[in-house]
Amino acid sequence: MCHRSVGLVARILEAQGIPTVSLGVVRSMIDGTPAPRNVFVPFRLGQVLGEPGNVAQQQAVLRAALGAVTRVAEPGGLLELPFRWKRGTYPVPVGMAGQPPPRVDA
Amino acid sequence: MTRWWNQLMSRVFARVPRLSESYGRRSGAVEEVPLPPLAGLATLLSAARVGIVTAGGVHLAQDPPFDMQDPEGDGSLRMIPGDAGAGALRITHDYYDHRAADEDVNCVFPIDRLRELVAAREIGAVAPRHVGLMGHLSGTQLERLLNRGAAEIGNVFAMGGVDLVLTVPG
Repeated sequence: MCHRSVGLVARILEAQGIPTVSLGVVRSMIDGTPAPRNVFVPFRLGQVLGEPGNVAQQQAVLRAALGAVTRVAEPGGLLELPFRWKRGTYPVPVGMAGQPPPRVDA
Repeated sequence: MTRWWNQLMSRVFARVPRLSESYGRRSGAVEEVPLPPLAGLATLLSAARVGIVTAGGVHLAQDPPFDMQDPEGDGSLRMIPGDAGAGALRITHDYYDHRAADEDVNCVFPIDRLRELVAAREIGAVAPRHVGLMGHLSGTQLERLLNRGAAEIGNVFAMGGVDLVLTVPG
């Protein structure tokens, strides 16, 4: 039901001209009432971004979800993320306190 | 139905994904709000200001909790400042297992992860305000969210200059 409620809100925001991406972990909910752009990740309810404290995993999911804004081309389209619960490997986290800022190429 | 029963069932559903999938199939579709054409991102993602709508029952500790007594849920909104620390937030929601999110709110409201992507210059900025919902809604409470709340959410993000919104279920 959480999927449906936020998916419907996303439809209304999108109709107002605000682009949205909608994460989900229950495929049948997404298929029943799809949001404008849907991103499915095979994780658990309550741990949509990943495990607690797993910064690398959460960043990877967030990065992929936000990237769907340009990858989903049709209303109601779905992007399935390739991650696996507790068995995935993820890039080194970025933007943590104490890290130098990323190099910007001219 | 008592709160402890709802909380118990939420833990069962979290552990057995097939139950959630079956529940989703039985829930059917909602046709009242049509699927609109996609709105284009007006800027590069690396410059975009990003907001979050979480249906995970997240709210400021000082704000009223969501109503857990109404079987149709609570269709009201909670505004979450973009600079809110995790320690200032609480979760009130009996219909999903939020023990992991109680430990790390980023599981359903990735505010720290957004800040890190800003620091790494992968996105432009964090929205000045985000929105917390209790997503387990039906009947009049779902209508309340869709007929009044959603427009308010749109105004909050429009006033905040938000380019892109991420929605997260509980």
